[in-house]
Amino acid sequence: MALSIKESIQTGFSDFWARKVRSLVTVVGIVLGTMSIIVVLSLVKSINQQTIAWMMERGGLSKITVRKDWSYESQTTVKDYFTWRELEFIHSLIPEVEYFNPQNRTRLNITYADKDFRSTVYGVVPDFAAIEEWTADQGRFISNYDVVQANDVIVIGTRVKQELFGNKNAIGQYVTAQGRRLQVIGIMEYRYMKGNNAFRENALEYMNRQSFIPITTMIYKGTGEDRFDYFTLKASNPQKAVQIARKLEAIILNMRQGEPVFRIESAQERADEIQGDTETFRMIFFLISMISLLVGGIVIMNIMMATIQERTREIGIRITVGARRRDIFTQFLVQTVLVTSLGGVLGVVLGVSILDIVGGYLGMELTAGLDMVLIAIGVSAGVGLIFGISPAIKASKLDPVEALRYE
Amino acid sequence: MESIIEVNNLEKEYKLGKVSVPALKGVNTKIYSGEFVAIMGPSGSGKSTLMHILGCLDTATAGDYFLNGEEVSKMKKNQLAAIRNKEIGFVFQTFNLLPHLNISKNVELPLMYAGMHKSERKKQAVKVLQEVGLGNRLQHKPNELSGGQRQRVAIARAIINNPSIILADEPTGNLDTTSGNDILSIFTELNKLGHTIVMVTHDPVVAKKASRVVYIVDGLIKDGAVD
Repeated sequence: MALSIKESIQTGFSDFWARKVRSLVTVVGIVLGTMSIIVVLSLVKSINQQTIAWMMERGGLSKITVRKDWSYESQTTVKDYFTWRELEFIHSLIPEVEYFNPQNRTRLNITYADKDFRSTVYGVVPDFAAIEEWTADQGRFISNYDVVQANDVIVIGTRVKQELFGNKNAIGQYVTAQGRRLQVIGIMEYRYMKGNNAFRENALEYMNRQSFIPITTMIYKGTGEDRFDYFTLKASNPQKAVQIARKLEAIILNMRQGEPVFRIESAQERADEIQGDTETFRMIFFLISMISLLVGGIVIMNIMMATIQERTREIGIRITVGARRRDIFTQFLVQTVLVTSLGGVLGVVLGVSILDIVGGYLGMELTAGLDMVLIAIGVSAGVGLIFGISPAIKASKLDPVEALRYE
Repeated sequence: MESIIEVNNLEKEYKLGKVSVPALKGVNTKIYSGEFVAIMGPSGSGKSTLMHILGCLDTATAGDYFLNGEEVSKMKKNQLAAIRNKEIGFVFQTFNLLPHLNISKNVELPLMYAGMHKSERKKQAVKVLQEVGLGNRLQHKPNELSGGQRQRVAIARAIINNPSIILADEPTGNLDTTSGNDILSIFTELNKLGHTIVMVTHDPVVAKKASRVVYIVDGLIKDGAVD
């Protein structure tokens, strides 16, 4: 003689439907709890993915950046830039680095025939392409020979090409910048990444507006200044990049009398830092969700207690026709779990719709993974299981004679 | 004749705080297969208590209770649940149907706890409801039926498991005379079909339908007393 789980679930369901409104009110806490679990988990996951995607677009996690720290005010007269020779010296101290790109930039008007376009022009060496994982897909990129010779050549972004040349062929043509004639030797690959909001459709559009010339052409023929406040490097893997970044830090600090005029940062560390921040954020909200689930659980326990009081006579009748204690216990426990699980499902549905709205607003693809949905529903079912036990025990211990007399 | 129920020196005390109130003071009786017994007595005499013990809803403080030769007074709770489920059919004054279930589902309840498959118990519920004349009301809720009809549902529920004994506690107490007589004729009919029936009542007219009347006064059986 036994009541199957299936039978208990059906009984629980019909109880649930018989008291729809109350059941819904009962699970508000659970709904809010699961909803915030879904929202927070997928928000954090999406932000992390976005961060990594951004890092990958910008040369990946093995990249190291050295830049002047504008927030640091030097008390002495140490140089807040490097010379070409200093950079060569630094490079010689870290032979394990794969690529090394001393870089300089300026904003210039580039003209062709009657058109002109204001572009950010970078003076680079060929390693730039390897570090940024971005090169010319028409013509060619800057070569070592161009750097040694300080050739008057330029590689332009797709937007620059479009603005100056339209659909005409650009390669081999001459453009003018700061009165110097530069031959177009290549056009960079078009860059695209879905933007963060409705106003910025392509997050990487600024890269399509850039142009590249040999670093030597820039510092010896252009600005005439042998000053670098920015250079990039790349290691063979992210772990090595972190090591090299720390070594560079020591070298550069030493070269500047211990003054931290420069900031050395590996992409891996930056990513870790951002993920660390989001992890803290996630833990805090997870805790808040847990508290709301706990409160929801206590509410449900109380309501189940009241429900059992109300249904005392029914329990008496069930015992009379042969229900065992275990059957009564299961009936009410299953019912509680069912209510909280449905609350969980409702929370997931609400959470997903909130993600949709927030995602639309931020221009981000916010999706709740199956794992999060399972966690949220599992946790709410667990709340029902824990807080359903004591009401179910109370129901199963009722004295049938007393219960039948209950009005 | 084979006795279905045999009780020896059955005692029951209720504890109200520190005071013990005796409800049964040593009841001895036998009920035989195929009998229709009425238990009569004034209120407070202990007839309901006896009924609850016979129905395995309550246990005696002292004494023996044999049902079909098995010693019920020594059984564990789960065994008692099985006895209630298979051997006993209850009919109450207040019908005691579940209001949110339709009458077919109400009648199925004992079979559900017996672990019978859904389609099979549905079939049986339809059959017994037809027997009590409610075959066309299967989907109705109890509150859509008259008192007499509700009691017939309760009788259908009591007999669905084909129990050894039907226990009826003032089954006509909440009914008008006509419906009450209907119910009593159903009991008579069931008795003719071989069901053993024990019915508690305080109404001598009702008790006359029984083949034997047992009087209980102040917690003791008074044999041979005539109203």
